[in-house]
Amino acid sequence: MDRKDIIRVVMEKEYQISPEAVELICSSNSPEALLRYVLSTVNDSVIVIGTEHIDLEDFAAFSAGESISDKVHVFRTEKKKIFSSASILSSRSDNPSSKPNSLLVPDSLSKPTLSLKPDIVTAAPDPIIKSSKDSVLDSVLDSVLDSVPDSVSVQDMLQDIAYEPALDTPNTLDTPNTLDTPNTLDTKSSVTSSDQTSASYLASDSLSSVKAEPLTFLSRSSQVINRSNSPFFGQENSLPFSSSNRIFRAEQSSSSSERGIFSSSRDEYKHYPGKNPVTVVSDITGHSTCVGEYMQFVQYFRDRYSRLSEIIRGRINARPIESLKRRNFRRGGDAGSEEISIIGMVSDISSTTNGHKILSLEDPTGSFSVLIRNSDKELFELASGILLDEVIGVAGSITNDGSLMLATKLIQPDVPNNIQRRTGSHGKAVLISDVHVGSSKFLEDAWLDFLDFLKGESDSDDMREIAASVRYLVVAGDIVDGIGIYPDQEMELDILDVYEQYKKAAEYFREIPEHIRVIISPGNHDAVRQAEPQPALPENIQAYFPENIVFVGNPAFLELDGVRLLIYHGRSIDDLVASVPGVSYQEPSGAVLEMLKRRHLAPTYGSRVSISPEKKDYFIIDPVPDIIHTGHVHTLGVQRYKNVLLVNSGTWQDQTEFQKRVNLVPVPARVPIVDLENFDVKILAFD
Amino acid sequence: MGETIASKEMHEYFDELEARLKEAIKIANTARARGGDPKPIVEIPLAKDLADRVENLIGVDGVAAKIRELENKMSREEAALEIGRQVAEGEVGSFATKKDAVEAAIRVSMATLTEGVVAAPIEGIDKVELGKNDDGSQYIRIFYSGPIRSAGGTAQALSVLVGDYVRRGIGIDRYKPRPEEVERYVEEILLYKKVASLQYMPSEDEIRLIVKNCPVCIDGDPTEEAEVEGHRDLERIGTNRVRGGMCLVLAEGLALKAPKVKKHVNKLNMDGWDWLTTLIGGAKAGEDEENEQKNKIKPKDKYIRDLIAGRPVFSHPSRPGGFRLRYGRSRNTSFAAAGINPSTMVLLDDFITNGTQLKVERPGKAAAMSAVDSIEGPTVRLRSGDLVRVDNIKEAYELRSQVEVIVDIGEILINYGDFLENNHPLMPSPYVFEWWIYDYEAACSEEIPEEELKNPSSFLALRLAEEYEVPLHPKFTYLWHDIDRNEFEALRKFVAEKGNFSVEDGILRLPLKACMESGVKFILEKLLLLHRVKADTILIEEALPFILCLGLDHQLKEKAKMPDTDNMVEAAALLSGFKVLPRAPSRIGARMGRPEKSNLRKMSPAAQVLFPIGNAGGITRNIVSASSYSASMNGKIGEIEVEMGIRECPACGKETYFWRCDCGEYTRPKLFCHRCKIEVRNSETCPKCGRKPTSVANVKLDFHSIYKQAFENVGEREKMALIKGVKRLMNGQMTPEPLEKGILRAKHNVYIFKDGTVRYDMSDIPLTHIRADEIGITAAKLRELGYVEDVYGKPLERDDQIVCLKVQDLVISYDGGEYMLRIAKYVDDLLVKYYGVEPYYNAETIQDLVGALLIGLAPHTSAGVLGRLIGFTRASVGYAHPFFHASKRRNCDGDEDCVMLLMDGILNFSRSYLPDKRGGKMDAPLVLTTRIDPKEVDKEAHNIDVPARYPLEFYKATQEIKNPTELEGIMDLVSSRLGTPEQYDHFMFTHDTSDIAAGPLNSSYKTLGSMIEKMEAQLALADKIRAVDAPDVAERVLKSHFLPDLLGNLRSFSRQRMRCIKCGEKFRRPPLTGACPKCGGNVVLTVHEGAVRKYLEISKEIGERYGVSSYTRQRIELVDNDICSLFENHRVKQLGLSDFMSGSAR
Repeated sequence: MDRKDIIRVVMEKEYQISPEAVELICSSNSPEALLRYVLSTVNDSVIVIGTEHIDLEDFAAFSAGESISDKVHVFRTEKKKIFSSASILSSRSDNPSSKPNSLLVPDSLSKPTLSLKPDIVTAAPDPIIKSSKDSVLDSVLDSVLDSVPDSVSVQDMLQDIAYEPALDTPNTLDTPNTLDTPNTLDTKSSVTSSDQTSASYLASDSLSSVKAEPLTFLSRSSQVINRSNSPFFGQENSLPFSSSNRIFRAEQSSSSSERGIFSSSRDEYKHYPGKNPVTVVSDITGHSTCVGEYMQFVQYFRDRYSRLSEIIRGRINARPIESLKRRNFRRGGDAGSEEISIIGMVSDISSTTNGHKILSLEDPTGSFSVLIRNSDKELFELASGILLDEVIGVAGSITNDGSLMLATKLIQPDVPNNIQRRTGSHGKAVLISDVHVGSSKFLEDAWLDFLDFLKGESDSDDMREIAASVRYLVVAGDIVDGIGIYPDQEMELDILDVYEQYKKAAEYFREIPEHIRVIISPGNHDAVRQAEPQPALPENIQAYFPENIVFVGNPAFLELDGVRLLIYHGRSIDDLVASVPGVSYQEPSGAVLEMLKRRHLAPTYGSRVSISPEKKDYFIIDPVPDIIHTGHVHTLGVQRYKNVLLVNSGTWQDQTEFQKRVNLVPVPARVPIVDLENFDVKILAFD
Repeated sequence: MGETIASKEMHEYFDELEARLKEAIKIANTARARGGDPKPIVEIPLAKDLADRVENLIGVDGVAAKIRELENKMSREEAALEIGRQVAEGEVGSFATKKDAVEAAIRVSMATLTEGVVAAPIEGIDKVELGKNDDGSQYIRIFYSGPIRSAGGTAQALSVLVGDYVRRGIGIDRYKPRPEEVERYVEEILLYKKVASLQYMPSEDEIRLIVKNCPVCIDGDPTEEAEVEGHRDLERIGTNRVRGGMCLVLAEGLALKAPKVKKHVNKLNMDGWDWLTTLIGGAKAGEDEENEQKNKIKPKDKYIRDLIAGRPVFSHPSRPGGFRLRYGRSRNTSFAAAGINPSTMVLLDDFITNGTQLKVERPGKAAAMSAVDSIEGPTVRLRSGDLVRVDNIKEAYELRSQVEVIVDIGEILINYGDFLENNHPLMPSPYVFEWWIYDYEAACSEEIPEEELKNPSSFLALRLAEEYEVPLHPKFTYLWHDIDRNEFEALRKFVAEKGNFSVEDGILRLPLKACMESGVKFILEKLLLLHRVKADTILIEEALPFILCLGLDHQLKEKAKMPDTDNMVEAAALLSGFKVLPRAPSRIGARMGRPEKSNLRKMSPAAQVLFPIGNAGGITRNIVSASSYSASMNGKIGEIEVEMGIRECPACGKETYFWRCDCGEYTRPKLFCHRCKIEVRNSETCPKCGRKPTSVANVKLDFHSIYKQAFENVGEREKMALIKGVKRLMNGQMTPEPLEKGILRAKHNVYIFKDGTVRYDMSDIPLTHIRADEIGITAAKLRELGYVEDVYGKPLERDDQIVCLKVQDLVISYDGGEYMLRIAKYVDDLLVKYYGVEPYYNAETIQDLVGALLIGLAPHTSAGVLGRLIGFTRASVGYAHPFFHASKRRNCDGDEDCVMLLMDGILNFSRSYLPDKRGGKMDAPLVLTTRIDPKEVDKEAHNIDVPARYPLEFYKATQEIKNPTELEGIMDLVSSRLGTPEQYDHFMFTHDTSDIAAGPLNSSYKTLGSMIEKMEAQLALADKIRAVDAPDVAERVLKSHFLPDLLGNLRSFSRQRMRCIKCGEKFRRPPLTGACPKCGGNVVLTVHEGAVRKYLEISKEIGERYGVSSYTRQRIELVDNDICSLFENHRVKQLGLSDFMSGSAR
């Protein structure tokens, strides 16, 4: 029974199945029986059968029982899953070695470096922080795996490891004493798994990391790092993306004859070759499947949950929420309450009369309330930044009556601390947004100066030199002011015809020399659908522009000659400013940082961001890019967070009446330029 | 306030009403004493006057006496401020803290200002707090909330003044705002304007001026979802959301009513308010008024700015062909209701009928419509080419199908009082019969019958003009001002060359073809020169005055040279040698507002008894199905889980959920503090934590036996299919109504409102005079009701005599009457079967209800007014004396309110049922006004004019665009009659109407089906009316209705909430499980593709058809693309199972 058959059978039963699950079933000793079993036990509310629906131990028990009597036992426990993935991992474990990864020298830089001096400003790279890696644990586990394949004892053992260490994972950024001390064997980190897990999550190419169980931190580190630096397109089956994605695609490539339900991602690899190549890795354009049905909304959030929870799952051993209700958590004698972890999507946030916070968390099995006491200052502060609909992990204990979890720890997906600064390419990328051609407040003079600069016609030598090294120009939306975006907009327009606006814009873009590759992504003022993800500008509008311009959707994940760039217009910044304390329009990159911590571009549903419920949540930040480029709020911000460069480019529109009223001072005509080699940022002023 | 000043007849009338009221209350008290209700007595206290109402409403003892005392010495407004001061300083009432005293003072003062009727003083002011200035001193913060709106601008503004006045007395400093707080106000008010609406929008600088200088901090609770974007998280402003109450008080109160506030400030010699001068000086010198002072009235397009689909425009601003202003008052107009000829209603495709609200260009913003057939109807061009004026509704129905163009939509009757009330400069009056007759009387002593004068022959008109120099009669005065000199000359030339006038029959004949080619026909139509087309000839009857006005003689020879003027009225006068006056100098634009209403009140969802059944009754909240509900397969039948208030019997200590114990004792709520887990006795707050305790708990109720028992109690058979209960009670102690009442209500098919009363809603229309024959009763019946003579002082004998309506008598729609009959039967059943006493109404037909007492009550108010039902009307409105409407604080600009049957009100109303939330006390009869004192009604009613004719000076003054206040002295206004018996009697009207209910029964807005159908009808009408620019209508509808709707729905689709179809639970986003986590039911979208697309096709089509601006068309195109992009799968090839199968076969 091969993969295609599995999918066919599943589809006949009117389910869908995730590639991971197909893989899991395929790898079973008796795939057919397992599949039958899965289909007979799977809940009706399930739409996509994932690995979480495949309970290998139950199946084992079932098939054992079946052979004796014909009774069907349907029971599930959660530990089994770990076992199942572990067994699969070990059976497929073909990685030759796992070396200590002490050689890794990740950069991290988290200080905002925004400065706005009139001419050229350089944001200097911050000092390098090395993260400690611990080889001992890796090897211990390797040996465990090697020595004890496929046995129940491994399961228990792994579980123990998984439960305990996750509780007090030190954050590498918080422990500066680990600087330049690779290989230190810290007592804590010897049992710590989360960092490594995340790292491996990003970089490993093992199937097992899909499940991201603790054991996956046996990252084949150095090897993988090498590979990720190599140009990876054209190399089948070795795309160094997040493992889940990777597997996803690998699976498809392996079944290339089948243009089935999972073929979507493959089409996304649109490649624009040339001296300044662009590869579109993820982009909704041409792939929107929304037809406006309820289940699509459900699927959209399920995808968000499953992918974000996978990221967190590496760091805590979470149970399904439903299991909390079934179990009896009554305090048993002197042992104290057991510590338990769950991963859920926040469905409600409220405060008690005493000022504690209550988060309602939901996973596909149920929901549960989590209490964060205000006496726990640090945790409480973290909790006050939690947004509706983000996916978080929580560890804590259950109250006696089993109705509430008292949180001791909150985990956001975040970026792994030890993510590598990747070596980039060469040349420079110019990041702009919010041009607003057609607005009566469009700053044409400054814009023309900017075009002169791109053409290498600046007065200063320095500028001409910079211009010569520019390879890419990226526009993160709002290229024109559009029409009907807000009431009485016609009063503030110079060009009332939206197509004329684009023609005017195209005229400007035609002046840009050919050696610069232009990429245009739409924003909320553009003539595409307002619901995000937004597809690229329609073809009739693209036709006004020079041919070599790459039009992508919003958001779009690109590769610019090896540098990973995530473009998002930034509608959700409005939400983040309104709901995360300390995030302001003056420092928009702070909002992007909050997105990155949540690994999601627009966490909260139903507020200012309109969404189109697609099969895949395009807002998820996965894999972690080198640069995130946003706009929308008309202010400039540059910041670095764990080796990710966050840039919010300003605008080419002067303060509007609306902005005057809400006291928003735009930063027009300032252009961040990113050095693609070392990710240094310069800000050029054209006003 | 002392004794009512009225004639003996009126005194008898009031005494009779009060005697019958007392009798009814006696019966109700006997019934309620049996313990079938939360309280053994009637819970609506009676209030004879304003002072009583204020005391009852606010509940500060001693206030009523003090108000009566103060009112003898000073004006109402002064008294209001003074009583506020006295309360704050502790001279009246006693309070625990300074803060409480200030709070009560402001409320009392405000209640006095609003006649103790509206709920604003209790609901509109949330609380008063003391804040701290940066210099350490204290200041007053008044927290306004949404219901403050009902107080009206003046009372809102004065409440701030009261706050300032009382704080001085007790030594609290002024508010010193921080700069960021000032800016916050600016942003917030601008935002409020966007999300809600403001009548008046002050400029940003005005807002700054007010906030910086206002000595009291105007604060409020958040009322809107919207949050400010700048100026967030300010220390002294507790919310980032918009505070609606604050915005209203600042913008519609202080900013708009600054002159009134200033008057009081001056009177009271208060310092610190000098900035009002800047405010008044700076803003009020608006261009509009300036222009209108300079004898120019400019078109105003405000009323058509927000056009809604399906509500047609009847005339663009001040356009020829629109409503022609006519001054006067009919017995069913005034008080913001205007009259139009019923044929206008018919020919405007039935969109207007009695009670339909029109948004008008002037004098106010809106007006309700009434049929007045003594004014001119529309002038139409028929398909035959005839130009006819249709004054008669019968003719209108006959001609309706032949109408090609509505050249002129006829006259609109507006009374002087409405101009006075709105302080709108008087627009030039047209030359109408009422004016002409003064000129005639002054010049001519001949005795000519009035009928002939009203409709003279051309010979008589010319004779009077020639012999006595009386201006040319209005009948032969054409709209010369609507044509220009070129048109005039062309017309003159054409008539002279091509015309054929026969002196014998007075008919001017013009060749049709040449008329059409030269455009002369069009000019004739502009002049409203009526004509007929026969055998290719245009026939103009009685054409001589017209010919003379053109400066031609009987032989159509030019007898005078065209004078050198651009004023064609003047030209006509000079050429003819007569005095010719403008026939339609003032046009009034209008569009439809909301349709008239006459319908029973249903809550949403509707309920017949306030008894909670949770989800046990399904989505219909059916009590019957709840009685046999079982939670699980083997659960107990009829056991339901609901929230109830736990009560305790003081006598036997038994616990129950009802207000009476089995032992007969009244129970009391058993209060718990859920936090401290203790029972709270004899205290408002928990002794441990100070929080408010509650008696509410989730209980399992043996509903089945309660249900059975209730049926047994009232002796009804259990065969009802549907009795609608409620899911959950809203009142604080969860007091349910007796189920028996629900059974009887279901039996008689009546529905209740949140307070337990049954109501019927109708649009308010004023009525000052009635005829027995038009309200479905007889003169004999009228005499029985205390009417003795007609309006001319003759004894009342015939059914068609006009009599003056008594102030508390009501005429309701027949449908309302039928509902009242059902209520009466229900009340009788209740009295007999539930209370075990005698029936009260014994009514079999609606005629039996004539004379029954009613309670009138308006939304946002808390005081009912006693009324008496005297007749019925076909129109879907509620007619009452303007004073009756004013005592509910309504005018008649399209508002609606309700009536209830008195016995139903006093039997079933209980304060215990009222929702325990903001606004809960609104729209409930907390007190009942028994007698209308015109002095104590809304002051607007004092501006009603009641003479039989307007003086000549008035018409002359209008030519100079005088301010209406200059004429107050010579007009017979209600205000001049106050304090005399004439305040109730001998009102007159200038224009009669033969049937107050003439016209279509219902507006076609209500009878047409879908919005698209309405829109088509609206555009078809726009195409027909000369005064309407159809493409402009199309563009405006697209811009202000369809596009916002499309964009709004598109946006809400992408941010929508989900809903469980089983239990109704709403979700902010879909649950990850897909199904409802509460009940496992199916969850569905709340916004569907259909809702988003609804107006797309019609918008595209209309945009094309009417050639709207390319900007608007492009917007539609973009929305179209957006919708396609969102709802269409972009993958060209849809991959299904079959594709997959073939793929796998490969």
